[in-house]
Amino acid sequence: MSATMTEPTDAEAQAFLDSLIGPLGEEVQTPVELGAVRRMALCMEDLDPIHFDAAAAAARGYRGIVAPWPLLWLYFFTCTIYEHDFPFGKATVHGADEYEFHEPMIVGDVITVRTAMVEAKLKHGRSGRLGQVVSERRFTNQRGELCAVLRTILFRR
Amino acid sequence: MLKVETRERPVRFFEDFHEGQELPAVTRGPMMVGHQVRWAGACDNYESEFHHDEYVAKAQGLPGILLSGPLMASWLLTTVQDWMGRDARLLRFSDQNRGSTMPRDLAHFHGTVKRAYEQDGKALIELECAITNQRGEVTTPGSALVEMPRRGTGAPA
Repeated sequence: MSATMTEPTDAEAQAFLDSLIGPLGEEVQTPVELGAVRRMALCMEDLDPIHFDAAAAAARGYRGIVAPWPLLWLYFFTCTIYEHDFPFGKATVHGADEYEFHEPMIVGDVITVRTAMVEAKLKHGRSGRLGQVVSERRFTNQRGELCAVLRTILFRR
Repeated sequence: MLKVETRERPVRFFEDFHEGQELPAVTRGPMMVGHQVRWAGACDNYESEFHHDEYVAKAQGLPGILLSGPLMASWLLTTVQDWMGRDARLLRFSDQNRGSTMPRDLAHFHGTVKRAYEQDGKALIELECAITNQRGEVTTPGSALVEMPRRGTGAPA
């Protein structure tokens, strides 16, 4: 005998989505490490000397070796909750991302990452019911300066 | 560690761009599983096995390995930085994961100046950008806002 999974009603699905709004987990701190900066810069084939050489970075007015912005994804994956156990639908798709860039992240900085779900709504389209959730990650350095904001939009079908 | 042969981007100014200007297309590829593996290492994230294991990808009903959306978006972001030059300051970037990129696909990077304007004393350029594959399909549309140096003045603060 097999168990039958029933999909929640729209009201139940929306109630679940509403319950996601707010902070996700605790704030997490992480150092900006030289090796991590080098690995990401090489992965991106971004050979700007500010990512490798402290003197070159200083000559351009930076406090130290500068992290390439894609390094935000290291902190996304290692410091934040990014998977959600939806009680409806079959698949979750990473639909889009929006970035704001402020103060550069410098090797030796300690970045505090705060995550929150800022939007969660149920839609109905041609392909049926769709959940859309927007999570926001804010990256702040040890000086209290905002470095970046990353908003990630997931679709649940 | 071995010294990396670094390469500064050329310096470009606000005056070098005009609305409607098409930026020089860049082609990367063919994409390889190694690109994805390097990205997984840079992000310290190996959880989505369909990104690097064809057996798992096909068992999940996918046509094969799919390269990560944030990887492709990060290359698009880096290409925007290449187009805009050494002293440009990226303020915002957004992208959509609209289509898949698989090993052996080509990725063509396109950009167009949508708007060039001044606001609050800042020289700003808004770009539309995208990745298309060898079939002409848009896989990763995006946009960016960049603060530019003016000719005869220093880099943006």
